[in-house]
Amino acid sequence: MTNPFREDLVSRSRPEPCTVVIFGATGDLTHRKLVPAIYNLAIDGELPPGVKILGFARREKSDAEFRKGLEELNRKVSRSGHDEAIWSTFQESIHYHQSEFTDADGYQRLAERLDAIDRERGGKGNRLFYIASAPEFFDDILTQLKTAGLNKAKDGCWARVIVEKPFGTDLKTAQHLNQVVNRTFQEKDTYRIDHYLGKETAQNLMVLRFANAIFEPLWNSRYIDQVQITCSENLGMEGGRGGYYDKSGALRDMVQNHLLQLLSLVAMEPPTDLSADGVRDEKVKVIRSLRQWDTPEKVAANVIRAQYAAGHVDGKPVPGYREEDRVDPESMTESYVALRLMIDTWRWSGVPFYIRMGKQLPKKATEISVHFKAPPGVLFNALSGGVPGGNVLVIRIQPDEGISLRMVSKIPGTSLRLEPVKMDFHYATSFGKSSPEAYERLLLDAMAGDATLFARRDEVEEAWRFIDHIEHAWHQSNNPPPMASYVAGTWGPKEADELVQADGHVWRRL
Amino acid sequence: MHPELGREVPVGSIDKELRKLWAEDEARTNASLMNLAVYSEAPGALEKNSEAVRELTAEHACRAILIGIDRHAPEASIRAWITAHCHLSHGRKSICCEQIAFALTGKATGRLRNTVFAHLASDLPLIFWWQGELSPIFEDRLYSLVDRFVFDSSGWADPKASFAIIADAVTNATRPLVVQDLAWTRSFQFRVSVASLFDDPLVLKALPEIDTVEIVHHPDDRVTGLQMLAWLAVQSGWRDGMELDLAVRRQSGGKQGFSFESAAGKAITATLVSDEKSAALGLVKLSGGGVTVSVSREAGAPHLVRRIEAPGHFLEAPGPVDPDDCAGLIGEQLARGGKNSLFRKILPRFRELLEK
Repeated sequence: MTNPFREDLVSRSRPEPCTVVIFGATGDLTHRKLVPAIYNLAIDGELPPGVKILGFARREKSDAEFRKGLEELNRKVSRSGHDEAIWSTFQESIHYHQSEFTDADGYQRLAERLDAIDRERGGKGNRLFYIASAPEFFDDILTQLKTAGLNKAKDGCWARVIVEKPFGTDLKTAQHLNQVVNRTFQEKDTYRIDHYLGKETAQNLMVLRFANAIFEPLWNSRYIDQVQITCSENLGMEGGRGGYYDKSGALRDMVQNHLLQLLSLVAMEPPTDLSADGVRDEKVKVIRSLRQWDTPEKVAANVIRAQYAAGHVDGKPVPGYREEDRVDPESMTESYVALRLMIDTWRWSGVPFYIRMGKQLPKKATEISVHFKAPPGVLFNALSGGVPGGNVLVIRIQPDEGISLRMVSKIPGTSLRLEPVKMDFHYATSFGKSSPEAYERLLLDAMAGDATLFARRDEVEEAWRFIDHIEHAWHQSNNPPPMASYVAGTWGPKEADELVQADGHVWRRL
Repeated sequence: MHPELGREVPVGSIDKELRKLWAEDEARTNASLMNLAVYSEAPGALEKNSEAVRELTAEHACRAILIGIDRHAPEASIRAWITAHCHLSHGRKSICCEQIAFALTGKATGRLRNTVFAHLASDLPLIFWWQGELSPIFEDRLYSLVDRFVFDSSGWADPKASFAIIADAVTNATRPLVVQDLAWTRSFQFRVSVASLFDDPLVLKALPEIDTVEIVHHPDDRVTGLQMLAWLAVQSGWRDGMELDLAVRRQSGGKQGFSFESAAGKAITATLVSDEKSAALGLVKLSGGGVTVSVSREAGAPHLVRRIEAPGHFLEAPGPVDPDDCAGLIGEQLARGGKNSLFRKILPRFRELLEK
C-alpha cells in the first residue's frame, strides 16, 4: 500500500524514517557537516519524523555530552541558524554508543541499542550506517557489522551504508574494500559519497546539457575545441592536514573522485532515464573510455606534478610544501597536478580535457570551462586584432555558483572592432535563497534509496585503474617523471602551462 | 507624493527613466527571473505592495509592476513611478530589481492591458498576484497573458461564485494558466506533515480504518480548512457519505459536519471547527483503528507539532510552518514552482464541499 498523501505533493524521492548510525561520531565531519545537515533538513521539514541519530565512536561519552558537543558546533555552522525549540526536540533523537571499531561485543551491544531505541521511540527498523571514520577502520567496521547481523534488514525494512572518501588508495585497495562492502551490503544498498555531486551546480550540469536544446547539438568534437576543469585552493596544510595529505596527494585526494566525477557529467552521453543506474551507466562509460597513460613516458607527456615553494597567498607569507607541518621534508607527494585527458569515443575524439588541481594557488575556485572552436575566419580575420577568442561556456561549481557564456561582440563605434563580452548567470543573484548543503541532499537521497548522486563500484574502480598507472609511473618506475615546482600564490608550474601550450591552448585565467 | 514608490515619471518615458536609474549607480546588478504584477483595487495598496515586493525580491529577482486601480473615480488618469529594490547578496553584491507602479483611475482602467503590459520584461514569465475580490477586469484578455495567477480566496465574500469564474478561466484560457490560491498555499506544510506521518507503516496500515477527521481553522480561513478536507478526501478516495447523521451534518455554532465513505464502505465523519483563537489552520486530526495522527499549530507558533499516537507507539516531532503573510506565501510558492496540479485535482471536490 502506498501513501496516497504523498501523491503530487513534492517532486522528489521520498526519504523514509530510519536510524542513522555514524561511525567516527566524535570527528569533525560529524560535528561540522553531518549532524548540522540532518538538523537543517529537520528545520526545512524535509526530514521524515522518526529519524534518529546514533553516534558510534571510541571515546567515552554520555548521550548528554555528545549532544552538547554537537549543539555547540551546530550553533556555529548551521546554514539556517540554531533554533532552540527545534534543537531541544531534535536532540532527543540523538544518542551515543561507545565502542572500539574492532570490538565484536560493541556491535552486539549496538544491535541491542538500536532495537531498544526503536522500541522506545517507535522506529520501524530502517538503518543507515554512515562510515565517517578514518579509512583504516572501514574494513573492520564493515566486517563487524556483518558479524553482528546488522547488515541484514528486518522484514519490510532496509539497511544501507554510506562510505566516505577515500574509497581505497589504489585499485587494489578499492577492489578489496568493494569486496568487503559487497560481502556485507548489496551494491544497491551501498552509497559511496562524493559531496561534489551534491552541489547544486554539479546537479545542474545534466539540466544544462539535456534540458536546453541549444547546447547538446554542439556538445561534441565537431564544435568543442577543449574542456578545462580547474580546482584551485588558496590553502595549504593548515590545521595539521599535512599528515593525511602527504600520504594522498592532489591526484588521489581530488582527481580520482571529485574531478573525474565532474568530467563524467560533462562528457557522458544522454542517459536513457534519470534512474540511478541509467545515469551511472553513462558516467562509467566515460571513465572507461579514458585513454590510459600506462607508461612513464605517456605520463610524463600528459601529466604534470608539482609542489609549491615558499611564497605569498592573500598577501601572507606561506612555507613551501616540504616545510609544512607533518609533511615529510623529502616528500614526493604532489600538491599540484595537471593532466591532459583524451576520451576515446565518437563524440570526443581528438578533444583534450585538461584537469588541474592545486594547493596554495591564488584563489579558491572550482569550475568547468568548455571552449568552442573558432568560427571560420573568412569575414573578420582581416581586421586588426582579428576575432578575439572563441566562445567559452563556464560552469562555476564554487564559489559564486553560476554559468557564463563568452561571446564576441562589436565595440560600438564607427570602426569594426570585436571584443569578447560575457553573459553571466549567478545563482546568488537570481535565486536569493541559499542552496542546501551538499550533505543535506545526499543524506536525504540515501534515506530515499536514490543512489543517482553516489558513485557505483565500477565507477570507483575504473577511476582507480586510470589513476594507478600515473601513480605507478611516479613512484615505482625506474624513470619517474620529474616533480616540478611553483611558487605559492601563483597558478602552478610552467610545465603545466607548457602542457596545454603544446596543443596550442592556454589555461583559462580565473 | 508617494515616496515609497520612488520617482514619478511620465508614462511615456518609463523605459528611458529606468535606464537613467541604472546609469546612476553602475555598481548595482539588475536581476530578473520573472515579471511580477501585483493588482489591487484597495486604496493605499500601492505603498503596501511596494513593501511586500521589497521583501519578495530578497529571494526572487523580478521586474515588479504594481497596479493600483480606482474604477469609480470620476476622472480618467494614469500615473507611474519607478524605483529599484536592492539587497546585498551574501554580503557582497548589491542585487536590484526594478519596480514600476501604476495608478489608474476612472475609465483609464480600461487601458490596463495596453499601458501596463507594455512594460513586461520580454521572455520572462508573468506572475499575476490579484488582491481582493475578482472584478470585471479579470477577463480573458487579461488572463490570457498570464503564466501564473495568484489570488487569496480566504477574503472572498462569495467564494462559490468566484471559484466558478476561476474554474472557467482555467478551462477557457488560450495558454496553460496555473492558478495559485494562497488559501491553499497556507496549508502546504500541514499537508507535507500529514503525508510524512502516513509514511509510518503502522499509520499507513490504519488509513482504511480512519473514521474521524477534525480540522480546526480560524474563522477567516474556512476556505483553507475546506480545501484541506477536500485534499484528504480526494487522496484517500473517500466518496460523499450517506446522510447518516444529520445532526453532525448540520452547521451549529462554529462547527460544520461532513460525512464520507471510504472505498471499503467505512463511514467517516469530518468536522470543521472555526475558532477565533486558532492559527489559520490550527489542527488536522485523523483517528481510527486505534491510531490518531495530528498536525497542530498554536496561533503565532514558529513550528507545527506532528504527532502519532497508537498503542505502544508515540511520536512527536516539530515541523516548519507556512509564512503568515501573503508575500511570504508567494515567495514559498515561487520557490516551489510547478504547475500546481494537485490544486486543480482537488478543485472540483472542494467546490462541491463549498456548496454544502
